[in-house]
Amino acid sequence: MRMIGKAGKAAAIAAIAALALTACGRSETGTTGGGTAGGEAFPKDSSIGVALPQKTSENWVLAEKLFNDGLKEAGFKPDVQFANAGVSEQQNQISAMITKGAKVLIVGAIDGAQLGTQLKQAKDNGVTIIAYDRLLLNTNDVDYYVAYDNFKVGELQGKALLEGMQKKKPQGPYNIELFAGSPDDANAKVFFDGAMSVLKPKIDDGTLKVLSGQTSFEQAVTQAWKSENAQRRADTLLSGSYGSAALDGVLSPNDLLARAILTSVKAAGKPTPVITGQDSEVESVKSIMAGEQYSTINKDTRKLVEHAITMVKDIQAGKKPEINDDKSYNNKVKTVPAYLLEPVIVTKENVKTAYVDDPVLGPITK
Amino acid sequence: MNALKKLFGGNTRQFGMIFALVALIIFFQFATDGRTLTPGNVINLFNGNSYILILAIGMVLVIIAGHIDLSVGSVAAFVGVTVALAIRDWGIPWYAGILLGLGLGVLIGAWQGFWTAYVGIPAFIVTLAGMLLFRGFNQFVGKSNTIPVPGDFQYIGSGYLPEVGPNTGFNNLTLLLGLLGVAFVVFSELRARRTAKALGAEVPEAWVAVTKLVLICGAILYATYLFATGRPGTSFPIPGLILAVLVLVYGFISSKTVVGRHVYAVGGNRHAAELSGVQSKKVNFLVMMNMSVLAGLAGMIFVGRSTASGPFDGVGWELDAIAAVFIGGAAVTGGVGTVIGSIVGGLVMAVLNNGLQLLGVGADLTQIIKGLVLLIAVAFDVYNKSQGKRSIIGMLTQNFNRPSGGTPLQPDEVTSTKETIAREA
Amino acid sequence: MTSINTQSEPVILEMRSITKEFPGVKALADVNLRVKAGEIHAICGENGAGKSTLMKVLSGVYPYGTYTGDVVYQSQVQQFKDIRASEHAGIVIIHQELALIPELSITENIFLGNEPVKRGVIDWAEARTRTRELLARVGLREDPDTPIKEIGVGKQQLVEIAKALNKSVKLLILDEPTAALNESDSQHLLDLILGLKGRGITSIIISHKLNEIEQIADSITIIRDGKSIETLDVKADGVDEDRIIKGMVGRTLESRFPHHEPKIGDVLFEVKNWTVGHPQVQDRLVCKGSSFFVRRGEIVGFAGLMGAGRTELARSVFGRSYGRYITGSIYKDGKELHLKNVKQAIDAGLGYVTEDRKSLGLNLLDDIKTTTVSAALNKISRHFVVDSNKEFTVAEQYRKSLRTKTPSVEEGVAKLSGGNQQKVVLAKWMFTDPDLLILDEPTRGIDVGAKYEIYGIIQQLANQGRGVIVISSELPELLGLSDRIYTIFEGAITGVLNKDEASQESLMKLMTSARKAAA
Repeated sequence: MRMIGKAGKAAAIAAIAALALTACGRSETGTTGGGTAGGEAFPKDSSIGVALPQKTSENWVLAEKLFNDGLKEAGFKPDVQFANAGVSEQQNQISAMITKGAKVLIVGAIDGAQLGTQLKQAKDNGVTIIAYDRLLLNTNDVDYYVAYDNFKVGELQGKALLEGMQKKKPQGPYNIELFAGSPDDANAKVFFDGAMSVLKPKIDDGTLKVLSGQTSFEQAVTQAWKSENAQRRADTLLSGSYGSAALDGVLSPNDLLARAILTSVKAAGKPTPVITGQDSEVESVKSIMAGEQYSTINKDTRKLVEHAITMVKDIQAGKKPEINDDKSYNNKVKTVPAYLLEPVIVTKENVKTAYVDDPVLGPITK
Repeated sequence: MNALKKLFGGNTRQFGMIFALVALIIFFQFATDGRTLTPGNVINLFNGNSYILILAIGMVLVIIAGHIDLSVGSVAAFVGVTVALAIRDWGIPWYAGILLGLGLGVLIGAWQGFWTAYVGIPAFIVTLAGMLLFRGFNQFVGKSNTIPVPGDFQYIGSGYLPEVGPNTGFNNLTLLLGLLGVAFVVFSELRARRTAKALGAEVPEAWVAVTKLVLICGAILYATYLFATGRPGTSFPIPGLILAVLVLVYGFISSKTVVGRHVYAVGGNRHAAELSGVQSKKVNFLVMMNMSVLAGLAGMIFVGRSTASGPFDGVGWELDAIAAVFIGGAAVTGGVGTVIGSIVGGLVMAVLNNGLQLLGVGADLTQIIKGLVLLIAVAFDVYNKSQGKRSIIGMLTQNFNRPSGGTPLQPDEVTSTKETIAREA
Repeated sequence: MTSINTQSEPVILEMRSITKEFPGVKALADVNLRVKAGEIHAICGENGAGKSTLMKVLSGVYPYGTYTGDVVYQSQVQQFKDIRASEHAGIVIIHQELALIPELSITENIFLGNEPVKRGVIDWAEARTRTRELLARVGLREDPDTPIKEIGVGKQQLVEIAKALNKSVKLLILDEPTAALNESDSQHLLDLILGLKGRGITSIIISHKLNEIEQIADSITIIRDGKSIETLDVKADGVDEDRIIKGMVGRTLESRFPHHEPKIGDVLFEVKNWTVGHPQVQDRLVCKGSSFFVRRGEIVGFAGLMGAGRTELARSVFGRSYGRYITGSIYKDGKELHLKNVKQAIDAGLGYVTEDRKSLGLNLLDDIKTTTVSAALNKISRHFVVDSNKEFTVAEQYRKSLRTKTPSVEEGVAKLSGGNQQKVVLAKWMFTDPDLLILDEPTRGIDVGAKYEIYGIIQQLANQGRGVIVISSELPELLGLSDRIYTIFEGAITGVLNKDEASQESLMKLMTSARKAAA
């Protein structure tokens, strides 16, 4: 009964039975390999793999639809997958895309440093790899990077925070708290650094005060970009450092976290601080119009997807895709040629004009 | 059908799972236009699931002994990050890293084993605490960062058997391994026949043995062919090799050794085992410790495959491993289960996952399907037990029997009826 | 022999030509049962004869349609589709394994699934009052709020009957009601059943204890191999135990014990001043300074009421597997042994066959061969690797020599009857080659034929020069088997009698001596 021998044999027998039935359908693959990156054309109806992270924000769901529609329209076979179960699932999905014969992989990584093996496998199979929104780290096997300029995003957030607080109260000092994104997302640090490039000098000269003293990235992180984690930290900060003091502003890396922090502030019975955001989520845009959240960033997913697809088309045609930055994005192994899109800051003042073209946000902001 | 039964050694339950696995493979092979059984995909299948299957080996022993371990994902992540840091910051070589990881697994296992076996806290609680504890340690030690590991350490998670010897158009080592496997199977079958004859037990007819050997060896050779003819640079993967060794070792331990017997005895009836001289505390301690060591190994393999350790490594692995074990026929109440069954259960999930990905089915739908498969597999088993039947195969074969005329009832059913009556009287 | 002659008496139940088949096995073939209103009707038969199957047909566990034949109850053909339906008609079955929930109180158990409701809320006051009445009827003086786990098995049995009375039972079926009870609890229960009869409640009782049946039953139906053999009228036919056994096994057993000439040698095993504390309760002693010895080739009986501390004594001697050791020493062949765990005890040549076969003695998931070798794995393994060929050979040997009824040693032990299970357990301990074997209730729940065989095995073990201790609640068994009998009362040894000076009366006196002294 517990004889591994018997059962093992049975397993093998069963397997051969399957193989015998299917052997004729097996296509010879393997030893072809070799297409070099970024140059050669491939058939126009090829499969294009798009590996996206967890389905956690509206933008990723929108991106899925846009990729499917856009790639289909251009004649490709799109293969778009979310990895809800985490890094290991994304690894397996990328392997499967390669097996299915994808010619280009667009990767929105969960953790940009944990896909090395699969990317190498892709490269060995002659696949061109585009890092989408999040840079792929520690690997030689990435050809292009397409994203919004994330350092710029941070800068804009920092500036908006200062500006918003000055409008409310012309003179400092201002009490602020800092929140950053998830440490396993390479962009989180870039956002934070961008914002700090504006805020740090002001903290140093005393205009800004962080009463909790938590000013480093490690202290400010929000695991997994989860709103409950941000909310919990905000609760702690408020009860710990703002019993009597006023909280003037909060640097929040995105809309989801901004709303969580606002919830916490309300629960603590404090007046709404100036708070930044990013991603232009519907709820946050409404919140801006209602005068609660101060700002968000418009990184139109449409434009980003559009450019990613343009890159695929160029690669297919054998052209070198357009890039506008070949210096700034070093992934610790190589400098990745990048195409960066300009983010736009949105506050109550420009909210009506910013989303004019947007089919979802347009009607809301009218 | 009796012949089929002889072929499979009469264990209908395990046969059911293997049958399901084969059916799945066949289904996906057609549905994906032959992309399932390609060298590349089979290699992916092993690489992408080896760490879960390794966890399932440890988990089945834990479950047989009547416990559960919820902490394996966190332990794997903690060991992974510690080893990655040690290699990066202390500059220790890769093999020292592996030893460190296994040693850490021993320590963690001793901690969990101590609370479970000697203090008597249910393993569910101990390992629930461990799940939080070691996840916290992982993020504390790694500062929630991604920590890369060097190329030679990556070998255990993403390496292949090297090319040696003359150019035969195949990977020579893989070929050798396959032939060794065939030799082993033939040898052990012949030996089993000889001893059965000597003991005066029933010896199956020669044609049964021959058919069996042809089928098994054919399967091994075909797998060898797939692995040996992949893209240059690939061959039988190292994680697959580690897994194969572990399956053999643990299969042997669980079925053939005194320790293995004791694990089943403790899980089946702890009091009876104790009154037969089994030191159940020691057994529980060992089983829990072993699980953490294997979790550490799985964590290191994953880090090797991912080229880096991350703060969310291992999230949800415990559930994958537990699912594999239960699909593979283990009982929640302990005492029942096999290593090979759990591997088959894990492979069912893996093939399902892989096939659905090849078909481009979304992750959300995949999860729904996997959840249903787990439920149905176990429900089916429970239903059959309550009906006094052993498995679906028993029902299928009834219809086989009738037309071929006059074959009496299956021994399984007769005995299970006897059982019913014995219970009543 | 003579069937019921008084056709005029009202019949409450008649089962006509009941046939119940399982795939491949005919469990009941054309069984007839006729129960008169207000009588106590016993059903006798060996294990596996079909008694319980018949009761399951009657109570609707096997619903109408899954058997052939008619169940006529109160002059109507019944078509019970489940237990609820039969209970509704006033038929209540009390199983051997009690169906009470240990954590709940007596009241809660009695009204479980049947709670008195007032305006949507359970009326506990009402329930408690009714419980008090019911408990009085069964002669149980307990607070209705006492949790079930705090009262003994005997009282639990009474609670079950109270629960049945609450369902206005007309026909009460008791499956082995006294199997787990000691003598006085058994007697109380039997009296209660007689009392119920006085109030017009009909009972069907299934029991292996033929003396009890002889004592209370009015009629006896004997079932053998799924067929109803005969129905006896106890008074009219002058039925005694031997007559019932003859019906059950189909032949007369000349003697219930095999003939045995003891060959008694030197003192093999001696325990001195053995004192053990209760595992949980501080200050409570379960063994009080007991001393005893066993000689080679001797079968030594231990008599005592349930809870007297017999099992506790045996288990604490067997590698301290029970209780807290306080004082005492163990000698084997004159040398002192220091046994700290079961493994050491086994290594020192001790064996212990547990009283509770299913929960302490067997892993019911195992097969026969695994069980046979499980206490002596070192004898069939080298370098910790089990030799499965030797395992098979050993198990096969014992199967033949003990005549275990099974198609193969690879069969699961759960599928065996009680007697054959016990043989496998005996094989397991015989394979450890013990010098001293302690048997705790070795024949509980085993039918007459198998008992005889097990007695033979025990005598054989003694003849090989081993010492054997037999603990039993059945005095005739001890008297028939033992060369010497110790009596235990409340944890202390109160006497020892040689075979020729022991009788049921003299033993009983010693088994209850301290109580009398106290009173």
